[in-house]
Amino acid sequence: MSNPFAGWVWNGGTIAFFLISLVVVFAAVMLLQFRKVMYMALSIGLVFLGMAGLYILLNADFLAFAQILIYAGAITILMLFAVMLTRHDEVEDPPLRDPKKWLTALGCLALGAAMLWTIRNTPWSSPPAQPPWPVQKNVAAIAETLFTGYAVPFELVSVLLTVALVGAVILARKEG
Amino acid sequence: MPFFQWVNDALTWGTLFRMLLGGIIVLLFLLGVVAYMLYFERKIIGWMQLRIGPNRVGPLGLFQSIADVLKLLAKEDIVPAQADRPLFLIAPIIAFVPSFVVIAAIPWTASHPFTADISVALLYYLALSSITILGIMLGGWASNNKYSLLGGMRSAAQMISYEIPLGMSLLGVILMAGSLNIVDIVEAQRRFMWFIIPQFLGFCVFIVAATAELNRTPFDLPEAESELVAGYHTEYSGFRFAFYMLAEYLYVFAISCLGAALFFGGWSGPLLPGWLWFAIKVSAFIFFFFWLRATMPRIRVDQLMTFSWKVLLPLALVNIVLTSVIKYWVNAG
Repeated sequence: MSNPFAGWVWNGGTIAFFLISLVVVFAAVMLLQFRKVMYMALSIGLVFLGMAGLYILLNADFLAFAQILIYAGAITILMLFAVMLTRHDEVEDPPLRDPKKWLTALGCLALGAAMLWTIRNTPWSSPPAQPPWPVQKNVAAIAETLFTGYAVPFELVSVLLTVALVGAVILARKEG
Repeated sequence: MPFFQWVNDALTWGTLFRMLLGGIIVLLFLLGVVAYMLYFERKIIGWMQLRIGPNRVGPLGLFQSIADVLKLLAKEDIVPAQADRPLFLIAPIIAFVPSFVVIAAIPWTASHPFTADISVALLYYLALSSITILGIMLGGWASNNKYSLLGGMRSAAQMISYEIPLGMSLLGVILMAGSLNIVDIVEAQRRFMWFIIPQFLGFCVFIVAATAELNRTPFDLPEAESELVAGYHTEYSGFRFAFYMLAEYLYVFAISCLGAALFFGGWSGPLLPGWLWFAIKVSAFIFFFFWLRATMPRIRVDQLMTFSWKVLLPLALVNIVLTSVIKYWVNAG
């Protein structure tokens, strides 16, 4: 087995990658650990935020801030609103002690090991030294693709969203 | 700028030191700005109401805000017995951090050592400022107090609703400049003209939505003293209360910077150096917000949402359509 870190350059980006990944994994584990609905909503917000950090490291600035705006901002707030307007101090029951859990844990470990083995043994083509377009041209490139090559699917998605919005309004409207 | 090239450089102690130094300088500068904004707000409102305002601490009362901040920092940090302790403790921090982070996108001068050259700076500003709403809402919920909860909910609903016209009003400027980068937008205005003239409708929507987004009079319903005691920060005291106040005033400063950069040509202007022009324009914006607070009554809660969705949003959409049609027409003909 070769040194897994061969070829790594220890620059700010690499260190940021490990820190952000740790935060994302930590927040995801805490989401499963917490019993209060409010805390769960908050830790999923932290996961979304960490994902945005990973996108920035991949030079996808537009995607990263769209992720923060929509997921970490709007969707988390929507969840908090939903929790507050229903049972805002909802607490989940503590998990049952079940011997089958050990089997599940074993299964998860085996899956993880299999994935790690496959990833380590796949001959990845080395990535290009430079991203296909400079970061500053990211937004323009996305817009060109969206409004020339994929104009029809894009419009169909917006129609779908409008239909969902109108449907929600009709469902929420009072009878009579 | 080399200052912000740390992602691809080797992380040496020198780079780390420069990063920390830049952050600390900007933080200290902003603390000074907020302290004197508070002072001038009290002076200006006092002047408009034929009072004197703070005049005891130091010459002309200049040290009043510093004394206030020291008092807040020295105060006991009270957590209500029935509050949700961990959330109560971190909510002010969640509200404050984004307000400081958004400042990174503001271009102070033509050569800007403290500005992150982000290609999507406007999106960055809008996205991060929406995280503050989370902090405000959580603070209101964790206090376990009906006034706090109501204030937090009102605040969140208001800020979300007005964020949409705010973002839409900026789209006209983005269309004209062809970029989301604030530095590019300022450069585009230097070549053409200040965007306040071709984007007057967009500017009107921007200034109204910004006032509402800042929870300031006439849109200060979340903190309506006569109805809600103090809104979401009713239970907060000491330095956690200071964090909320700091976040609020930092956003006043940040949105003034944004307005000055997007509609009034940022640092560009004749004779005087760039940073001074920028400071003058930002101060004019801040004065405008204080002036509004001294003269306007509070809007009614049932008119608030209707106004955002039925007046501001359609106006912003009309502005976008007009701008794109005219731009297409000019480019084609």
